[in-house]
Amino acid sequence: MVANARPALRQDSRPDGVYTRDDHHGDSVLDADVVIVGSGAGGAALAAELAEGGLDVVVLEEGRYWSTRDFTANASQMIRQMYRDGGATMALGSPPVLYQEGRAVGGSTVVNGGMSWRTPEKILDRWWREAGLDGIRAADMEPYFERVERRIHVRTQDPESIGRDNQLLKIGADAKGWKVIPNLRNQVHCPGSNNCAFGCPTGAKQSALVSYVPRALHFGARLYSDVRVERITRSGKRATGVVGHVVRADGGRGHRLTVRAKLVVSACGAIHSPALLDRSGFRSPSGMVGKNLSLHPNVKLVAIFDEDVRGWEGVHQAYQVREFQDEGLLFAAVNIPPSIIAMTTSHTGRELGELMADYDKMVIAGMLCEDTNTGAVRTVAGQPQAFYQLSDFDADKLKRGCALLAEMMFEAGAKRIMLPFALGDHAGELRGPDDVRRIFADPVPKSSMEVVTVHMMGTARMGSDRTRAVTDGFGLVHDVDRLMVCDASLFPTPIGVNPMETIQALATRAAHHVLENPRRFS
Amino acid sequence: MSGYQHAPATRRVLDSLVPVVCPPEAVELGLVADIVDHVGLTMGALPGRFRGGLIMGLRTYDLGALIWPPGRLRPAHRLAPALAARYFDTWLHGPTPIHKQLALGIRQLIALAHYEQPVIQERMGYRPAQWIEQVKRRRLELYADDIERHARSLIEPDPLPGIAPHPRARTRTKGVA
Ligand SMILES: Cc1cc2nc3c(=O)[nH]c(=O)nc-3n(C[C@H](O)[C@H](O)[C@H](O)COP(=O)(O)OP(=O)(O)OC[C@H]3O[C@@H](n4cnc5c(N)ncnc54)[C@H](O)[C@@H]3O)c2cc1C
Ligand code: SF4
Repeated sequence: MVANARPALRQDSRPDGVYTRDDHHGDSVLDADVVIVGSGAGGAALAAELAEGGLDVVVLEEGRYWSTRDFTANASQMIRQMYRDGGATMALGSPPVLYQEGRAVGGSTVVNGGMSWRTPEKILDRWWREAGLDGIRAADMEPYFERVERRIHVRTQDPESIGRDNQLLKIGADAKGWKVIPNLRNQVHCPGSNNCAFGCPTGAKQSALVSYVPRALHFGARLYSDVRVERITRSGKRATGVVGHVVRADGGRGHRLTVRAKLVVSACGAIHSPALLDRSGFRSPSGMVGKNLSLHPNVKLVAIFDEDVRGWEGVHQAYQVREFQDEGLLFAAVNIPPSIIAMTTSHTGRELGELMADYDKMVIAGMLCEDTNTGAVRTVAGQPQAFYQLSDFDADKLKRGCALLAEMMFEAGAKRIMLPFALGDHAGELRGPDDVRRIFADPVPKSSMEVVTVHMMGTARMGSDRTRAVTDGFGLVHDVDRLMVCDASLFPTPIGVNPMETIQALATRAAHHVLENPRRFS
Repeated sequence: MSGYQHAPATRRVLDSLVPVVCPPEAVELGLVADIVDHVGLTMGALPGRFRGGLIMGLRTYDLGALIWPPGRLRPAHRLAPALAARYFDTWLHGPTPIHKQLALGIRQLIALAHYEQPVIQERMGYRPAQWIEQVKRRRLELYADDIERHARSLIEPDPLPGIAPHPRARTRTKGVA
């Protein structure tokens, strides 16, 4: 066993400080001030801040290290490489909810859409009021948001990057007189290649992979990719490190890696952090580990126009329709490759061919819904399994959202619209604005709704009361010494906007707390 | 990735399902084997228990046709195209949620594989790689200075308020992906 082993590095495209599966030649043991499990939105931001503050940081990441030049428009290959379980993970319920998580250095930020929004003020107020969190209101968070926005370069799009699909969405919203705003995204002159979900091939998107990770490495952090952490080690009430193994190319278990650290951080995301805590035997007095799962259920409809749209030419989600934000609904245009559209329609054979012949005339409009129900993540044979039941209230909200969105797209000139649910016994298809009322007139079986999500939150929620929350306001697990959670698990409630910036701001705030209290963590 | 490869029995059923799920061009262009290979790649990335369920489901689907009266004691992979489509439909519309989920899953895998075929994308005029190259070049031509400025800022010291730059802070140089 080697303490602080520095395996000989192969000098290829990898930056200094990144170690991959090829660098392990036996079991090893490392020592560090801080070990962070997961290199996504939360883990990478925390690593960069703590490393700059002078701490010796080790980051362990189950996914691979890919670089900008690896990212292509080959959607299914990218999904197999960078999404956990090929992007086909399911929260069980009726309807089941398909959810997606990135598994790569940079976590889900590598495959996300780059929308970068601050937590709405009313949500922060709610967290302050209901979860008893101090220093979390908008004025307190301002410097952290500002710092994150500087780091990941949050801006609106250059006009030339906006494609026809987004223009049509805006035309529809303007015609209805609805509030529509330019989206804020973490990008440096994104030229609109429309490949965000498969890795940004231009390097414009400031995912953690090209922002926080290089910064963390620059300040001396070490990052081990292809390492899956199995459990957190402990001595009494104190977390002392982690044990994991190298993930071999065939997915099998490779050498064992142990890290001993003064502070242990779980930043595995809202599905895997509760599973790691559970596997490691941490029982919260709140009983809330894995509970309180919110999802921002998401549905999309396909609007077909007479004109050429070529939705893949131009950035996705250049705008958000915010007219119904108070009801918890956001709308945006989100182009999707033909293979994934074909996958999600109900057509087969010749009919499928006819539908897809119009692919270049499609606008895919999606909607995010701030949900009111919560689900849970349970550990089954060491693996997390999510359970989530869409409430009738939220199902009605999604139906209403689809009706509004359909009205808007017809206003923009759509000729027909494919819905994400059946109308009665038939595939949901609307042939004109007069058809929209069928969404309410015809029965819509909840089980027929095609619900997906990429925003899992809340499974180790923060709060001042140890009997109701898993962690304190900085993510430190109640009743355990030196164990922190730093990811989307921390949210006490859903936030109704895209979560990445909130996670990064909370991570920055947590880093500040650690650096301001060096004795507590030395 | 699991290194998964279809067993011959699985491949046979999938071969027979391609003409049912895909537009006629799949057979006309001789794409059946490529599509089924692609389904294999996707299945290889699925969670093991999910993949196991699919394989078992495909087997049940194949043998289930033996007791489907119009099938006249033939397994699904030996049904004539029109009959194969009817048999698939009986799964897609019931009789239990399990039948339906399996049929949906299979349809999704095959449809995905069909539209991932380069020749199909080319026929649709869907050429994202060309577009990416074009805008990537334009970005570098127009905005090189801003891009460079931000890349530099990523490694400039910027300590959190009240936190002195740490004497132990080390720096490396080669860090951008
Ligand atoms: C397709 C997609 C589009 C999205 N679009 C947007 C958007 O536009 N804007 C927005 O704000 N949000 C978006 N999101 C959501 C956002 O990216 C996530 O909420 C955010 O990245 C979550 O951060 P996290 O730190 O909780 O987890 P992640 O970023 O998911 O990182 C967790 C990391 O931990 C690793 N890990 C897990 N378990 C282990 C283990 N046992 N050992 C080692 N490593 C482990 C994972 O491999 C992963 O890399 C999107 C997400 C997806 C998937
Ligand atoms: S649209 Fe912009 S941010 Fe997204 S992948 Fe293309 S260049 Fe990158």
